[in-house]
Amino acid sequence: MIGREKPEATAVGFDRPLLLTARQDLVGYAGGLTGRAVLFSIAASSVLAVLLIFAFIIREAVPFLLRGNDAAAGLSLANLPTRLGELFGSDQWHPEASVAPEFGTLAILAGSLYVTVTALAVGVPVGLLTAVCLSDVVPFSVRQAVKPVVELLAAIPSVAYGFFAVLVLAPLIQKHLDVPTGTNVLNAGLILAVMAIPTIVSISEDALSAVGRDLREASYACGATRAETLLRVVIPAAHNGIIAAVLLGMMRAIGETMVVWMASGMAAQVPAPWWDLAQSVRTMTGTIAQEMGETVVGSPHYHALFVLGLVLLVFTFSLNLATETLLGRMRRQGGKKP
Amino acid sequence: MLIALALVAILGPMLARGAMAVVFRATVEFRKMQSDMHNRGNASALEAEAADAAEARKPVYEMLDAFAHGVDTQLLEREAAQVYRQVGEELERRSVSAEVRQEVRRLTRNLRDALIEAYQAADRATAEQHLARVLKHADDERLAGTAAERLFDYARDYREHLRTLNFDRRREYAVALAEVQDAVRRLLGPRPDEPTPPLAMHRYGATRMDMAARVLDGLLHAETWVEPVPGKPLVKQRIPREEQFAGTRLAALFPYVREHLDEMLRPRLTFHPQYFWDDSIPGHYFGGVGPEILGTLALTALAILLAFPIGLISAAYLVEVAGENPAVNFIRMCINTLAGVPSIVFGLFGLAFFVHYVTGRPCVLAAALTLAVLVLPVIIRASEEAIRAVPPAYKEAALALGASRFRCFLTVQLPAALPGVLTGVILSMSRAAGETAPILFTGAIAFGPALDLLGWPPGGWLFSQTRALSYGGYDIAVGDRIAAMVPHQQYGMVTTLIALVLMLNITAIIIRWRISRKLRG
Repeated sequence: MIGREKPEATAVGFDRPLLLTARQDLVGYAGGLTGRAVLFSIAASSVLAVLLIFAFIIREAVPFLLRGNDAAAGLSLANLPTRLGELFGSDQWHPEASVAPEFGTLAILAGSLYVTVTALAVGVPVGLLTAVCLSDVVPFSVRQAVKPVVELLAAIPSVAYGFFAVLVLAPLIQKHLDVPTGTNVLNAGLILAVMAIPTIVSISEDALSAVGRDLREASYACGATRAETLLRVVIPAAHNGIIAAVLLGMMRAIGETMVVWMASGMAAQVPAPWWDLAQSVRTMTGTIAQEMGETVVGSPHYHALFVLGLVLLVFTFSLNLATETLLGRMRRQGGKKP
Repeated sequence: MLIALALVAILGPMLARGAMAVVFRATVEFRKMQSDMHNRGNASALEAEAADAAEARKPVYEMLDAFAHGVDTQLLEREAAQVYRQVGEELERRSVSAEVRQEVRRLTRNLRDALIEAYQAADRATAEQHLARVLKHADDERLAGTAAERLFDYARDYREHLRTLNFDRRREYAVALAEVQDAVRRLLGPRPDEPTPPLAMHRYGATRMDMAARVLDGLLHAETWVEPVPGKPLVKQRIPREEQFAGTRLAALFPYVREHLDEMLRPRLTFHPQYFWDDSIPGHYFGGVGPEILGTLALTALAILLAFPIGLISAAYLVEVAGENPAVNFIRMCINTLAGVPSIVFGLFGLAFFVHYVTGRPCVLAAALTLAVLVLPVIIRASEEAIRAVPPAYKEAALALGASRFRCFLTVQLPAALPGVLTGVILSMSRAAGETAPILFTGAIAFGPALDLLGWPPGGWLFSQTRALSYGGYDIAVGDRIAAMVPHQQYGMVTTLIALVLMLNITAIIIRWRISRKLRG
């Protein structure tokens, strides 16, 4: 050690020797490793959360999926086909019937489908149009002003949307369209579209911006008009992000509970005729929300509701995977983070 | 454009109507209620006001009573029987011989029966006959000075009524009169001589002028359902009550009420911020949203408290320490999955895990844990972005000066990233405050006591269920018919929630704007 007096205390410890002993080196290394391990395990808590979610939902859904036809028989995998047939082969959902409870979920699945498709049918065109306007048509200052508005729209709680749907929109629909009830597919679909639009707009807009200037300039250089550039060059180039945006909007619409609970009418039926959007339907999320509070824990009804939850989980999980793949491709293409 | 329009179209009416929960024209009934329930307001001024209002209301009650005496035969029969009983009591107190007592009682009984038959007579002639029988004994000295004299007054009164009464419509009038009396009770409250009703919502008349306007409309118009085309749904038809009661004594009541409503109710524009911390009568008929706000704040604060450390540390790990190996990619994928799970599935998970295994019953703790899992990905993403946005020059300078990596992070990178992290925390607070589905099965109730934060044992409130703005908003919108009578309460609760969420979001936007301004130089 070079001749040293005791230095004054500094922010960083300069009183440490420049050469560490073997012991100090090992301790430092072990400390670093422990630190990293601790951080890793804390970060892995989200993994733990996801695994727990899957585990417990499956755990509570299994007693329904594997049970036999009478209560006494135990659970076995052989019962699975019958149960799946019961769940997906019928549209009669009467889980609390005392004589012969029925668990047909087709009507409920159809309800989710109707509401989601309506929401996308309204939301995707509007959202895409807005995104295209924001990224290519309006000046930058307008874009900066509109983005917070879009974010605010996304931040409004779903209960507030549901409130608006059932107390303001439903009477309007009932009066002006001369239909028996204002809580129906149309109502829920419109409100879900309004909820999905901010998601679609922001992701599509990012995707469109990620298409570099060079592509646009090349298109103009070849003599294309603005519209042609947009339609034939920019949008196809951003198709990954746009599809991801649509899928994310779909995820939002399918997973939404409060709006459909309040505004879709909660009738487990497939609309007849199929194009009549003014009829009430019931979605998976609404069914779970409505019936879980009144169900006996451990009854077949309880487990059937968890099966619905499992279907939701699996569906949104696959949509999520698809979205992530597409967004990854978009990132790699454009070199810009969404 | 369209989007801004949609925002305004949706929020505008709701916020406007919700503001009416706090700013509105309150009547003397409202001030009475506040004085009774919370001891608010100037008692002497209120008494003076109530006396004035009672003066203005007297004609209404007089008109109603007068008409009732002609129409409501049950009332009249009761009064006649009451007189007979009183005569009996009087005779007991006086010292008369048994024969005289019997005689008087027999006479009174005959008079009472004749009077009752007069009331029940279906046409004018028979009624006149019976009344004549009664009045024949008007000068009987055996009955002088007793309560029986009132029977003669009733008989004379009824004879007056008979002049204007339309016998065919008497039944109809009785029904309509009951409706009118009910409407008057809802407008002006119970009569001064009536006992106090047990239910709080019946104790006061219309407490707000908009409610009064609705009740007034119900008072001034009778509604029936008619079938315009056989097979089609029934249609409501409104008949002004002045037409219904045309030609009777009661017809004067309606113009009087319409013109003197302000004198009877004494409205005054009031600002009522106590709405935000008052408790509510079960059913939300009166009162405010204090417990709901408290519940929402408690749940949100607890959820952030649980999720923030884990989220921040995870983000720090992902940015600083993690490499590009499959394990870290798996962690990232799981975070994205968590972000995409529907909120009702979080609720199911909370029920299956937190309620059944961790806390044993639905409570604030279980709900907060569920909300914490919900907002974890938001915090992680926002913190990650914030830490990444810190210029690498800061980190490199600190490292060059000899700081260890941990110290560098703690003292240099984290403070620089703090605004962004704070934005993420505020956004997740707004998300947690607005979510209903996760707390549905894990700890939210619609009616119940407010959280007892200072009770014993400390922290015991963690294991009780709570009311919340989000679930309360759902319940008040579709739950019960009482809430449908008080739309200002419905809109008020939802507006409080929206205002809370918007405030948080606007704060976050402002912070973000200031960061970007600083970064742009």
